Amino acid sequence: MQTAFSREQLAQPEIAEADGILKTCVHYGFCTGTCPTYVLFRDENDSPRGRIDLIRAMLEKGGAPAPRTVHHLDRCLSCLSCMTTCAVKVDYVHLIDIARSYIEKNFRRPLPDRMLRGLLAKTLPYPRRFAAALQLGRLAQPLAGFMPGRLRDLVGMAKARPVKMELLAPNVYLAQGERLMRVALLAGCAQQALDRNINAATIRILQRHGCDVIVADGAGCCGALPLHMGYERQARTLAAANVEAWSRLLDQGLDAVVVNASGCGTTVKDYGHLLGDENAKRIGAMTRDITEILAQLGLRVTGDMKPYRVAYHDACSLQHGQHVTEQPRRLLKTAGFTVLDVPEKHFCCGSAGTYNLLQPAIANALGQRKAAHVGSVDPDMIAAGNLGCMVQIGRFAETPIVHTVELLDWASGGPMPEALQGRTLRAPPPVAELSEQPAIMPSDAPPSGGAGIW
Amino acid sequence: MAAENLEAFFSDTGKSLGTEGVNRSEETIRRYGENTMACGDVMPAGVVYPASTADVQAIVRAANTHGIPLYPVSTGYNIGLGSRAAARAGQVVVDLGYRMNRILEIDEKLAFAVVEPGVSYQALYDELVRRGNKLMLDVTSGPPQGGMIGNALDKGAGYTPYFDHFGFSCGLEIVLGNGEILRTGDGALQSDTLANWHTSKYSFGPILDGLFAQSNYGIVTRMGVWLLPRPPMVRSFHFAFPEDSDLEEVIELCRPMKMSNFVPTLFRVANDLYLCGSEGESAEYHASKGKKSISDDGRRALREKHGLGAWNVSGAFYGPSAAALEPMIQRVRDHFGQSGKAKYIDHADAGGVGPLQVAINAFSGIPSLGELGLLKWRPGGGNLWFLPGTPMDGKIANEFQRICRGIYEEHGMDYMVMNVCGPRFARGLHVMTFNREDAEERARADACYRKMSEEVARRGVYVGRAPIQYHDFHMQQAMPVYRDACNNVKTALDPNGVIAPGRYGIG
Ligand SMILES: Cc1cc2nc3c(=O)[nH]c(=O)nc-3n(C[C@H](O)[C@H](O)[C@H](O)COP(=O)(O)OP(=O)(O)OC[C@H]3O[C@@H](n4cnc5c(N)ncnc54)[C@H](O)[C@@H]3O)c2cc1C
Ligand code: SF4
Repeated sequence: MQTAFSREQLAQPEIAEADGILKTCVHYGFCTGTCPTYVLFRDENDSPRGRIDLIRAMLEKGGAPAPRTVHHLDRCLSCLSCMTTCAVKVDYVHLIDIARSYIEKNFRRPLPDRMLRGLLAKTLPYPRRFAAALQLGRLAQPLAGFMPGRLRDLVGMAKARPVKMELLAPNVYLAQGERLMRVALLAGCAQQALDRNINAATIRILQRHGCDVIVADGAGCCGALPLHMGYERQARTLAAANVEAWSRLLDQGLDAVVVNASGCGTTVKDYGHLLGDENAKRIGAMTRDITEILAQLGLRVTGDMKPYRVAYHDACSLQHGQHVTEQPRRLLKTAGFTVLDVPEKHFCCGSAGTYNLLQPAIANALGQRKAAHVGSVDPDMIAAGNLGCMVQIGRFAETPIVHTVELLDWASGGPMPEALQGRTLRAPPPVAELSEQPAIMPSDAPPSGGAGIW
Repeated sequence: MAAENLEAFFSDTGKSLGTEGVNRSEETIRRYGENTMACGDVMPAGVVYPASTADVQAIVRAANTHGIPLYPVSTGYNIGLGSRAAARAGQVVVDLGYRMNRILEIDEKLAFAVVEPGVSYQALYDELVRRGNKLMLDVTSGPPQGGMIGNALDKGAGYTPYFDHFGFSCGLEIVLGNGEILRTGDGALQSDTLANWHTSKYSFGPILDGLFAQSNYGIVTRMGVWLLPRPPMVRSFHFAFPEDSDLEEVIELCRPMKMSNFVPTLFRVANDLYLCGSEGESAEYHASKGKKSISDDGRRALREKHGLGAWNVSGAFYGPSAAALEPMIQRVRDHFGQSGKAKYIDHADAGGVGPLQVAINAFSGIPSLGELGLLKWRPGGGNLWFLPGTPMDGKIANEFQRICRGIYEEHGMDYMVMNVCGPRFARGLHVMTFNREDAEERARADACYRKMSEEVARRGVYVGRAPIQYHDFHMQQAMPVYRDACNNVKTALDPNGVIAPGRYGIG
């Protein structure tokens, strides 16, 4: 695509970067069919190439963006499905981040919008504040009926999931047995307020597999939530604090930064781009999703797990952001579960960071669609690698949903995940009746059943 | 076409379909006109989205009443052959994919599916996996969001034993150009219960199905697709040959393997650029400003980098286990080993080579994205597919290679070809990527396409599918009686010529 920026515009680094990205888009249109909002609305401005065009026009014109442009860009989930599909691999993620930041700087949103966004940016990244807000939301339940739309949704969501907060203090959790690795764990922000079990399971399983696990002093929110709302400066400040905290550990040897919320993992892996300095690049390069680390270490299991049917949900940030699709499946299979692919697995569940709070109607449509697909494979449980997806799918699905690491921890000697406790799980069929995975098949090939003739 | 007719058409269609069914926004018109061809964009007058066969009938009737030309697309990912762009500017695109995308039936016992036009390869694949993955769908190595109906109607193909997508479709429902509904095959029976609509094509009367492939006589709203019982094990094999001229020997080696049906898949015989081209951009494009073909040294370097040859053969066996397939693999190895030149690449190693993984996915009936990367070989978004074919005779195939390679080079294009080989015939998938934003390069691509068409025609070879900008051109290459016959059928089934006038040069 051709662009028409002036020389002065191109002198601004973010415009120069956007210009480079825009020029690579040639409008083949492969991306449209895998973009959730285009599939829902068939509106060209809600397609990836439509949005790319809107961004080009907005940045070329300069000044305040048109409300219509903001409307369509706000509806983008940043799910990055378009990047997986794109034949020329347009760097959409950085383009939309530039656009979001531009909008925040140059567009005055209506007052309720500003208040909601401000509130989210000031609470979500800070677990204590977030937990307090959640409690407030739950107390406000009886008043929900009197509240305007999005506030009502927000309060509704506070109800959806009980708060299981546990803030991890800086600490070193020592490896059991021989130490193989020394890793830093991103303890996270909203996740700590909402579900302590994920970090607990992560620490246990890493210790069991020979890792010293460090919760570093000074590390906190990764910055993803403000970044995707356009608050780039806040995101940078949070990211810089993490880089500093983890860089301090480098001297005594640090093998990896481990992340168990894939939305955060995508951002931390990209710190080099966000901050641009060497330390940030180094930290970004050593960041791993928990399933990547466990695959590397080699999962050791007790061997007595029943082959429960697990519907594995690919979080967008894992599959499109980090291209981690094989490891979680392989680990769950090693753990003894029957792993089921979900139809339309390339599609977002609608969680997308703060999206389900800011765009509840679309998020609900996508959440219902995802829950129906997940339910259609008749699972005993759902596994996902990102808390946002767990909360979102959990709002619409009957089946219990757990983090992948909770299942792996359970299979390797940890406790049964809390979400499964007290539930009666179906007795799985004898192993002999389960279809076998061929020795070598394309990486994403599910086990094949055959029709009895082979 | 008078403006008031268009208004009246959209008004009638809006009444039948509701406001959700009509889209005339400026962005929509612009983007439905976009494509990758050398001719530039082709703007439609608007887009309509039927939700049912009755909606399609209402659209076709309104088009007849007001004299409005329509252009149906199913999933609309016909990239390289026209994308969603209409045959001529000003036609109204009937986009069936948005609201007619249901899988109507899957019969697991008789192994067939019945789909609406908007069902994509990915969607049917996902559904089959959900049902336990007992059945395998033949897919293309193109966009997973493309679909069975659009592909079959354009005589598209895959690579498993069910590769012939039109051949392995069975039973169509069509809204004819006159607005009436026709059921083909055994569906023609006047009955509410049709036991064999999607199991038999060859019962009473002429086989009308064929009329709707590569034509413009109606809009297909439903189709049966036959499915293969999924084999528990797929084992691919690959051979790399070092020289361009080895194509002759390759074709000679492939033919008996296919003629005896010893190898159940088609052979993918791809040249270096067809495979390496999906892995990155041309390193020489900018130096020559796109005016020259890549050098022999450049090609050699690519081959070395990816461990591939000038020509590369891929095929696969199906069976219950790897052990059961081992003797077959050994026999193929012995057969190709006769040449003394072939480098064998086994299934496991091929899995680590991107473009060979594409072949494995295709043989395994798994939609994948890997091959789309071919399109970024040159910048600027131009892509045309030139699709002639050769008899499975090594000398003839090599002669065609010499001619087409020469014409590519004469026009500064990069020769990127895969011959998809059956027992008697190989379809030559010639990819042309070019900078569509550069008028001079665009003109060269166009000239290259036309010259190759003329040269192969001179030697008795016709193309298969073609980019829509060349439909009239290719129809002019046909004998006059064929042209007249096609037009007479058009008059019979679509008397006012409302369905895609100009598609495949008809009407
Ligand atoms: C890298 C690459 C690899 C490819 N590999 C392959 C391959 O292996 N095999 C292959 O066959 N193709 C291949 N293609 C070509 C193409 O992308 C696919 O064939 C694709 O399936 C066609 O798009 P579609 O299914 O969305 O059809 P559509 O775009 O929906 O339809 C194609 C055309 O058929 C007509 N049509 C569609 N629906 C109807 C209807 N209901 N009634 C009447 N007429 C209709 C229309 O004229 C339409 O333009 C490849 C393309 C690329 C870029
Ligand atoms: S990031 Fe997701 S929602 Fe946004 S344009 Fe891409 S595919 Fe569509």
